[in-house]
Amino acid sequence: MKREEIRICVLRIEGTNCEQETFDSFNRLGASPEIVHLKQLTGKSSENRKRDLLDYQMLMIPGGFSSGDYVRAGAIFAARIKSALEDQLRSFVERGSPVLGICNGFQVLVETGLLPGIDEIMSPVPRAVLGTNDSNRFECRPTYLVNENEGRCLFTALLPKKKVVMFPSAHAEGKLMFPSDEEEKIVSLLDDEDMVVFRYTDSIGNYADYPWCPNGSVDGIAGICNSIGNVLGLMPHPERAFFNFLSPEWTRRGGPNEFGDGWAIFESAIQYIEKKW
Amino acid sequence: MSQPLLKRIDAPFEIFQIDLFSATDDQLESLSHELGIALSLDEMKRIREHFEGKGRLPTDVELQSIGQAWSEHCCYKSSKVFLKEFITGIDNRDVLLRGDAGVMRFDDKHAYALRIESHNHPSAVEPYGGAATGIGGIIRDVLCMGAQPIALIDPLFFGPLEIKHENIPVGIKHPKYLFSGVVAGIRDYGNRVGIPTVSGGVWFDDGYVGNCLVNVGCVGIAKIEELKKNSVGGADETLILVGGRTGRDGIHGVTFASAVLTEKSDEESRGAVQLGDPIMKEPLIHAVLEANRDGLISGMKDLGGGGLSCVVGEIALSGGCGAIVDLDKVPLKESGLAPWEIWVSESQERMMLSVKEDDADKVLEIFSLYDVPATKVGHTIQERTVTLIFNGVKVFEMDLEFLTSGPEYCRPCNIDSVSSDIEEAYPEELERYDVEILDMLSSINVCSREWVIRQYDHEVRGGTVIKPLQGLPGHSTHGDAAVLKPVEDSAKGLALSVSSNPYAVAIDPYRGSMMIIDEVCRNLASVGARPHSLTDCLNFGNPEKPEVLGMFREAVRGIGEAAAHLDLPIPSGNVSFYNEAPTGTVLPTPVVLGCGIVEDICRCITSDLKREGSDIYLIGRTQDAMAGTQYFMRNNGRSAKVPEVDLEVLSQSINFLIDNIEKDKILSCHDISEGGIATALCEMAVGGSMGAEIDLSTFDIGLRSDVKLFSESPTRWLVEVEHGTKLEPPAGVELTKIGSVGESSVMIYDGEEILFEQTVAEIECRWSMKLWEIMG
Repeated sequence: MKREEIRICVLRIEGTNCEQETFDSFNRLGASPEIVHLKQLTGKSSENRKRDLLDYQMLMIPGGFSSGDYVRAGAIFAARIKSALEDQLRSFVERGSPVLGICNGFQVLVETGLLPGIDEIMSPVPRAVLGTNDSNRFECRPTYLVNENEGRCLFTALLPKKKVVMFPSAHAEGKLMFPSDEEEKIVSLLDDEDMVVFRYTDSIGNYADYPWCPNGSVDGIAGICNSIGNVLGLMPHPERAFFNFLSPEWTRRGGPNEFGDGWAIFESAIQYIEKKW
Repeated sequence: MSQPLLKRIDAPFEIFQIDLFSATDDQLESLSHELGIALSLDEMKRIREHFEGKGRLPTDVELQSIGQAWSEHCCYKSSKVFLKEFITGIDNRDVLLRGDAGVMRFDDKHAYALRIESHNHPSAVEPYGGAATGIGGIIRDVLCMGAQPIALIDPLFFGPLEIKHENIPVGIKHPKYLFSGVVAGIRDYGNRVGIPTVSGGVWFDDGYVGNCLVNVGCVGIAKIEELKKNSVGGADETLILVGGRTGRDGIHGVTFASAVLTEKSDEESRGAVQLGDPIMKEPLIHAVLEANRDGLISGMKDLGGGGLSCVVGEIALSGGCGAIVDLDKVPLKESGLAPWEIWVSESQERMMLSVKEDDADKVLEIFSLYDVPATKVGHTIQERTVTLIFNGVKVFEMDLEFLTSGPEYCRPCNIDSVSSDIEEAYPEELERYDVEILDMLSSINVCSREWVIRQYDHEVRGGTVIKPLQGLPGHSTHGDAAVLKPVEDSAKGLALSVSSNPYAVAIDPYRGSMMIIDEVCRNLASVGARPHSLTDCLNFGNPEKPEVLGMFREAVRGIGEAAAHLDLPIPSGNVSFYNEAPTGTVLPTPVVLGCGIVEDICRCITSDLKREGSDIYLIGRTQDAMAGTQYFMRNNGRSAKVPEVDLEVLSQSINFLIDNIEKDKILSCHDISEGGIATALCEMAVGGSMGAEIDLSTFDIGLRSDVKLFSESPTRWLVEVEHGTKLEPPAGVELTKIGSVGESSVMIYDGEEILFEQTVAEIECRWSMKLWEIMG
């Protein structure tokens, strides 16, 4: 498939607020992203605006505070998606199309049951939660992540294994938790199944606690993928690290105009689609 | 309402006619008070004359409307004369519009909009909601110029955080509660609405115990061809009210803001504080910008102070028209609002669009996609009057010329406000300043603002190139200015910085205000940005007091003269008077937001030290003028000498610095402000996690050591350059090599004497922990 034919649905509702920079990230790579309001997929818009999820090659759920995150982060957006689009979403994931959720998008993917997605496409109820940070407040800070994935996740294909990257975090609810009686088991299962994609580290790659891990996430996990490897959710923002000049350290390191750490996530997805279809 | 002058009109809703004609002077005054419109006797008499000419009595809706339009907050009646004299005349060809926000040229195709305003009174009563709705309002000011908001800036002023509860008068909230509530309000609104908060400041002083100051600034970016004026396009256009519903929240916000706070403000005026809803605002921004991009909007205006009553008249009149509005079409939060309440309510998240009749339905379709209410509420007419219909009854008919011709005063003003009788007293000189510098670094006005900054999303929109915290991972320090990259296919940057210096202004408002302009310019230059425009928020006490107005006038003169000399237009601004409480008047607090242009963001630099062994230079001359410095305030020093800004040297210095930054000759740069060279050097060291060694005897021989350490004289920077690099300053600019970057300690000598030696780790610990310790 040609790059410019790759259609990416950047999905939004009220309170989604990272759609423009996420759109820009795909646009810079020559793909064809489109910012789509959920109502355009659910038939609740004027005729000329109506869209079909299955016409897209990738679904992108950007960061923000969808619907204010007033119930639980991502819960309202997820409920609205699932109530209208459950079947389409299932087919979309089943056919191997990439789905990426960043920050609020990760919260939405967990709330829909697409993540962790252990041996199932979508669980009927959420099997994990992104809870309030241990600091009990919103944290905006550079975070360092190690690429833990051995190859299952399609979004890290271009990222060397164990490479440490900087994607900034900005959230109040990023603490990944599983049911406490099974937490250990689930984490080791995720590790065994190569579904852990990123863990928080310090700036030289050692696993580390607060403030390096801004939220107290279980086992320092920052991002996970499903069993198929085509759905990725992560709290930190790769789109805010697309160019080096967005890094907090570029005036020390130089090379401001080069691609930043975040580029690999978007480019990996595009290359995957180019090859697969 | 007990007033015998009010006569209920026979209508199926509550409306009164007000018998101004037979009212005595006393009755006029008490009427103004009872209606909550805060107009003076003379103003009430002028209204009476107007209606006598019309041969009819006004309705309560009409009187309320005039009360809004003629409030200090809306018509700047006490300040206009000075603003005209010193500020509004500064112009150059980059000024594109002056409306709810000012608009400046960014490049051939783009413009940026800027504005700062106060939300002081609401925040003093209800800090969380007051601050949040302040953000909401300033975003709309930028949005209604047709600009996408891209940055928020929040300068805040509170009483000392550690003040004892028993020292706070009744009816006043503890500064810690206010600070924490205001930061939370900005955080929860700004973060949700998705506009990064990239700059700001927090100042603490006893003078703000009774009346905290919460200023909010916003900057936006627009295509020049999509800019909008805040005016209708002509007659027969449809007026569409978009956004939130109208309720009883925020009634009399402007009149509340145009009087001093009292012990009872809390219970009496809480209803004047609006309720914010960022999740209505976020899609509102999208819908407005989409409709504007599609060319469907002739003009638009934000509903802020005075609500509909101000917006309808102003948007119509500035387009040379009038309007007819169906008040009962306005979507309400609850039923049963009287027409005057609907007309003056300041409920949030609302804007008025004027669109061609044929385009109205297209606009409604866009808003419906985003689930944002949009309602046709009226239309424009040739005649310059506004008529309101409510349930078929005409409740209001006013000439716009009269309604918007608020009074303009030349109130008595005592400009001999510099206290020249202060006897100078310096603190005792010490051999070593380790304790003083470490204490200064951990003092509330100097310590790290990380506790605040990390709660604000300063990176959303993915364009924050130079961030408010800079340096090595885990060792960040304060930057002087933030830089955004607002246009996708351009390397040009927009730098933002905000400055204030109430301590110096209180001693010498003219020189103190020039210091503020100097600081904002040197902050911009520190990152490599050429200052391009300013916007100001002037927070003062009761202008009816000649000494307060005198201070105001001198401050405006200082700002105006400096800005004019530097060719920096001030295309928008805000005046906030009546910042008084039973505890007294706030410090005179002009706040200036500066915008600068960076030709190529890749040339920007930051304040953290970069390389061991590189040279450290001081740019600028150190004056022995210590009035208002942190050092004097901490150590009971006394002086009336506020340093003088040499504007010519400032221009030359900025050019010299930026030329060298653009040639990649400067590795790091930090302006010297609160706490002097000592603080500036320590902050640079913390950011780079590197030491430094400097010798103060290299410059200005003859000054005391403490003056050299702590002077806050303007137009000075510390810069780091590669060892051996030659810098060639122009004749007027003093440049002194004072030391070099070292390993892990900061050492400050004055000749043979060592004044200070501490490890960077210790410095960082003292500087960065204070706010976390107090606020948790």
